[in-house]
Amino acid sequence: MAAKSTPRPLPGQHQLSREFIAKHQRARIVNALALEVSEKGYRNVTVADIVKRAGIARNTFYENFGSKEDCFLAAQQFAMSAALGRVVEAAGEIDDWPYRVEAGLAAFLHFVAEEPALARTCMVDALAAAPSSVRYYEESLQSFVSLFRLGRDVSPHGRKLPETIEEALIGGVFWIVYQRLLEDEPERIERLLPELVEFALTPYLGAEAARVVALEGDGASAASSSRG
Amino acid sequence: MSEPVNPSVDSPEYPPELARLPPGRHGLPREFVARNQRERLIAGLAEAVAEQGYAGTTIAHITRHAAVSRRTFYEHFSSKDECFVAAYDTVMAELRRRVDEAFNEEDEWPRAVRAGIGAMLEFLTAEPHLARLSMVEALVAGPVVVERYDAAIQGLVPYFEAGRKGRPAEVLAGLSPSTEEALVGGMVSLISRRVFADRTEELESLLPDLTEFALTPYLGNAAAAKVARQG
Repeated sequence: MAAKSTPRPLPGQHQLSREFIAKHQRARIVNALALEVSEKGYRNVTVADIVKRAGIARNTFYENFGSKEDCFLAAQQFAMSAALGRVVEAAGEIDDWPYRVEAGLAAFLHFVAEEPALARTCMVDALAAAPSSVRYYEESLQSFVSLFRLGRDVSPHGRKLPETIEEALIGGVFWIVYQRLLEDEPERIERLLPELVEFALTPYLGAEAARVVALEGDGASAASSSRG
Repeated sequence: MSEPVNPSVDSPEYPPELARLPPGRHGLPREFVARNQRERLIAGLAEAVAEQGYAGTTIAHITRHAAVSRRTFYEHFSSKDECFVAAYDTVMAELRRRVDEAFNEEDEWPRAVRAGIGAMLEFLTAEPHLARLSMVEALVAGPVVVERYDAAIQGLVPYFEAGRKGRPAEVLAGLSPSTEEALVGGMVSLISRRVFADRTEELESLLPDLTEFALTPYLGNAAAAKVARQG
């Protein structure tokens, strides 16, 4: 598609499509920004730093992004959609709602443990970057609402639950993960699974039933769900 | 709780940092004026940030709102960041004072939680600028403030931990070590989304929902809902 409109390459230039180069340049810039931010903090990173790290011309940066903030949003969106993708994939395989929530949470925690840099970009750095990135973060959390909301159908008192319960539960789960990321112990994050499952399910199922699901998920024997 | 609360800025119960000294010649002692200048700068910053956002606020904006000179600003603060930290601390101290007072007025813990949440929502509704400063702009105002923000939220944990006292063993077994942290995180997330979207006027209507959310792990759904919905 680029062939017709692209002028003949100059000697020494690669014959890659403009689209290919552009796409990869964008990824390279976003990656450079994420690395710079994780080292220095958003406020101390300049476009010059990003340009240098990505090994591109300043013009190229501005062909792709309007500003540092714009570039950060792209990094955040990339990281957040990677996390959401894992959750949707894991949760979608399971029909039984409580186990579906558990699978979604497990996938999310696994993502954070496996990709701490991406997780920090979309959960820690995002909250300190700019109002636009905080807004995007808050909106992303809302993508989990529908998964939780299905619990009202299996809850004996689903109709009576507060309208905002999903929002509050998700905010609570993310806050816990955020705190553990700040403590810089991503490898311990997966161990949070049972308590987060229990926390998320309790309003729908009651503490007793929520605990049974949480303990099973922990790898404990389902039959003998004894408290340790 | 139900009567509209909208204290005027010079109401005597207002902390001086959030009130304003009327401009003009007043013949007040020098020390008082200096203290008051600091307070005016803090109030000026809150107004400037509400208009411009933290990143867009300059020292000129702050001094214009405070009606003091640039030199006066630098007698009190070395930078915009430092002034913001002072403003943040002032707002949070006032918020905590109100929550504490409301919480301690009630004898029973579930009602105390409801009163504390109510006091917080009331303050944030009455002061949308300060709500924005402390819940939105604080996050992007640099690492010093972010650390304080995190500490302020974690500082709410003991109000909920108090609910463990005297609970039956089977209830305690169902509470994980991070229950309280998750509760305050969830509540703050709910509140800050409204502040972000400039919907602070909705905050007071969240009282029943937030109360039920906070009490459910300790009391179960039915009892939590009962405390939440009582007028």
